[in-house]
Amino acid sequence: MKTEIFDKKRLKEIKTKTAEWEENSYSCQKKLKKKYETLSGFDVKPLYTPDDLAGFDYLRDLGFPGESPFIRGVHPTMYRGRTWTHRQLAGFGPPEETNKRYKFLLQQGASGINGVFDYPTLRGYSSDDPDVYADVGRGGVAIDTVDDMRILFDGIPIDQVSVSLVTCQPICNISMQSMYFANALDRGIPLDRLAGTSQNDFLMETATTIAPGVLPPQASFKVSCDAIEFCTKNAPRWNPISFAGYNYREAGCTAPQEVALVIAHAIACSEEMLKRGIEIDSFANRLSFFLSAHNDFFEEIAKYRAARRIYCSIMKKRFNARDPRSLMFRFHVQTAGVALTAQQPLNNVARAAYHALAAVLGGAQSVHVDAYDEALCTPTELSSVTALRTQQILQNETGVTNTIDPLGGSYFLESLTNRMETEICGILDEIDSLGGLVKAVENGWIHKEIAEAAYKYQWAIENGEMPIVGVNCFKIEDEVLPIELFSSPETLKVQKKKLQIIKKKRNAAEVARSLDAISRCCEKNGNLMELMVGAVKSHLTEGEISQALKRVYGVWDPPLF
Amino acid sequence: MKTNQRIRILMVRLGMDAHWRGSMVVARALRDAGMEVIYGGNQMPMNIVRMAIQEDVDIIGLSSLSGNHMMLAPEVVKLLKKEKVHDIKVVFGGTVPPDDVPKLKKAGIVEVFGPGSSLRKIISCIESLKNN
Repeated sequence: MKTEIFDKKRLKEIKTKTAEWEENSYSCQKKLKKKYETLSGFDVKPLYTPDDLAGFDYLRDLGFPGESPFIRGVHPTMYRGRTWTHRQLAGFGPPEETNKRYKFLLQQGASGINGVFDYPTLRGYSSDDPDVYADVGRGGVAIDTVDDMRILFDGIPIDQVSVSLVTCQPICNISMQSMYFANALDRGIPLDRLAGTSQNDFLMETATTIAPGVLPPQASFKVSCDAIEFCTKNAPRWNPISFAGYNYREAGCTAPQEVALVIAHAIACSEEMLKRGIEIDSFANRLSFFLSAHNDFFEEIAKYRAARRIYCSIMKKRFNARDPRSLMFRFHVQTAGVALTAQQPLNNVARAAYHALAAVLGGAQSVHVDAYDEALCTPTELSSVTALRTQQILQNETGVTNTIDPLGGSYFLESLTNRMETEICGILDEIDSLGGLVKAVENGWIHKEIAEAAYKYQWAIENGEMPIVGVNCFKIEDEVLPIELFSSPETLKVQKKKLQIIKKKRNAAEVARSLDAISRCCEKNGNLMELMVGAVKSHLTEGEISQALKRVYGVWDPPLF
Repeated sequence: MKTNQRIRILMVRLGMDAHWRGSMVVARALRDAGMEVIYGGNQMPMNIVRMAIQEDVDIIGLSSLSGNHMMLAPEVVKLLKKEKVHDIKVVFGGTVPPDDVPKLKKAGIVEVFGPGSSLRKIISCIESLKNN
């Protein structure tokens, strides 16, 4: 049956006319660049026509929102039915301070919490570790024990508000998510009522951020899968992993690499869960994704759309998933931090707004808009609320929510989406040929790919091929900073004092028993989270838990490149 | 500082800072400019100084985007002095509020490269440090 939407004869005519136009009208203009390309290096033509979509079959290639291949959106009503979640990242200092910021953002209309942890917490260290004193409370909130977790969410209705825990590294997630769950149970909220997401991404531990003394890739991956398995059985509304493509991109990836890596990661997790005897449709519906919105507007939109189509096809064909929810590529977007400039920081309001618009035109489920001061410091209350307002303006004033996938059918966008899909599938094949994602981390392939892309990007800015306003063009010499910067509240003393008190008060024998049980669980290859949700109640510190894991699994030096 | 030799530089990230992109891109650029770069990963001041002496470097490049720079970068200079090392210069790159730049320089950091710094400028600055 012939289903192409463009008639072959007419296409031929369009092709001829386009060539004529290019020769007679377009090419005789002066001052044209020789080459136009997207941020990831795809050639861009001056004009796109139906000829670029020859063989295009609407029902096969696009279809309808809420239906396979989901390219037009994962929900049948998209933003008419439910707008994207305004999920602004927040976290700094001790939990008492971050709790106030969460409440402030919720009062201002934020519809979800997005909690980020400080560097020591993310890496599995407690605030009283001698190596971390300079980083406590920086970049996020410091959490050491279940008691801090109680303070962090005190007075916040966690049975109603969905909470994203930016527990990037599995070694951090295993403690933090367990503390979060233990605290909920303590408040009388059963785990099956909790809605939220934890990041829990082993690439964040072993490839996209590199720390001293990280778990080896296989162990980090195993710990992350323990949380997925636990949630599948006990917390069905919780997304136990959020494949952090955003961070891969921040580290230097291109757009197609970003999507290829998150999908390769979802493949690795799915294979592991199947090995553990869990049916595909009982966990795949809870795999969630986290992507960046970078500078190249159309390329980003094409990226989100291509991701949906590829993922649907892989989950169907490779894993025989049947539940439509298992086929949906659901994602959160953060506007690209790496695109922000310290120069003329208020320009970042405009940048982040364009990024957010791309996310929404690409069908995101939730969005964080970066604050204008993030290239300089942790956001202030004013910059955070401005970022939230950017989302509210986009939703309420621009009309972009009125129709679904409004750019679908654009000759350029559909063509770019197809090009993106081909590129992503090529990278996925390469990762498969390397033996899968965990192997590709172990042998340093990922590190090399990211480093090379980052290096190329920087030289493009350096050579002026990539204009960045305020940095390599439209500069202000001797600029006076027009904004007030955030200063971190005292955290180290506060956390150390709490730890001192807790360590005196807690039952030492119970602590020793819990830590011993954790070690034995690691040795026996048991599910760590099943044990941990109970164990953290004895006020183990995060550092103690991490050390117990490292004693059994060892530590890994990521390869240099 | 030694002359007529390739510049040796130790690149490290301070403390717990998770961002490696900047330090890695700069390390590659310096290497491509003909310098010998030793990439030390994340380190605390005591270890940085120990590594710098052991590796006999001309320059230490510190990187941090976490905000820990005021607590750790001056400490590196202080420990070098304590060890009576006077021929190793310390430079810093990363996210630094403008007000902290003079403070870092006063503490003995010879150059500070904030966000958006040009790779060529970093290279030529480090080359000129060797010649001084």
